[in-house]
Amino acid sequence: MLVITRKTGERICLGDDITITVLEVVGSTVRLGIDAPAEIPVFRHELWEAVKEENRAAADASVSQLKAPEDTP
Amino acid sequence: MHVNSTRFGEIEIREDAVISFPEGLPGLDGEQWALIASSEESPFFWLHAVDHPAVAVPVTSPWLFFSDYEVSVPEDAANALGLDDPNDAYIVCVVRASDEIRDFTINLAGPLVINAATRTGRQVINAAGGYAVRHPLFSEVELNEVQPSSAPVPVTAAAE
Repeated sequence: MLVITRKTGERICLGDDITITVLEVVGSTVRLGIDAPAEIPVFRHELWEAVKEENRAAADASVSQLKAPEDTP
Repeated sequence: MHVNSTRFGEIEIREDAVISFPEGLPGLDGEQWALIASSEESPFFWLHAVDHPAVAVPVTSPWLFFSDYEVSVPEDAANALGLDDPNDAYIVCVVRASDEIRDFTINLAGPLVINAATRTGRQVINAAGGYAVRHPLFSEVELNEVQPSSAPVPVTAAAE
């Protein structure tokens, strides 16, 4: 892993098309500005982890659980 | 094609009902999946991994429950799926079932986008933000009034 120290207002470039700007640092929180082409997906890491977790949890379902709503008067 | 399922036993799936998820579904095994209707009345399908007998997730059309739901397909996914017009996509969302109907949730943040023409799909992060991965499926009002068996169901594969 490449580790770089940046100050507020400084930037990091990933290739020619992606620029990440450090907008603000307050305590342990960093606000970043990301300029990237539309075809590059950008999302918070924990959101993807949450999707994984939901898929795994959903795969625990049983046939009887799915039938329950139908049988409930 | 025969699929051995821990839930349904030996089931027959038409070759043209198999949907390829080249990137897989995050957190689960399998690249080839098939939609299996649990019953004609149910709004839920099972998306079943063809090569993994125990791996299946309940899915549903989000618009059966949330008529104003919006999906914005990220451009990279639309390109990878060959979706010239994202409106042509067939979209389902993963349902987290539970013993109690009020505890059912739906993942509106990570819909499955399927190109029906090529039968390829991908789970994406919905670029229309603000949706939860664990959104309650039934509101209190619906729990009192819903007739859950009235939803139309497109059938692409049937369990035998």
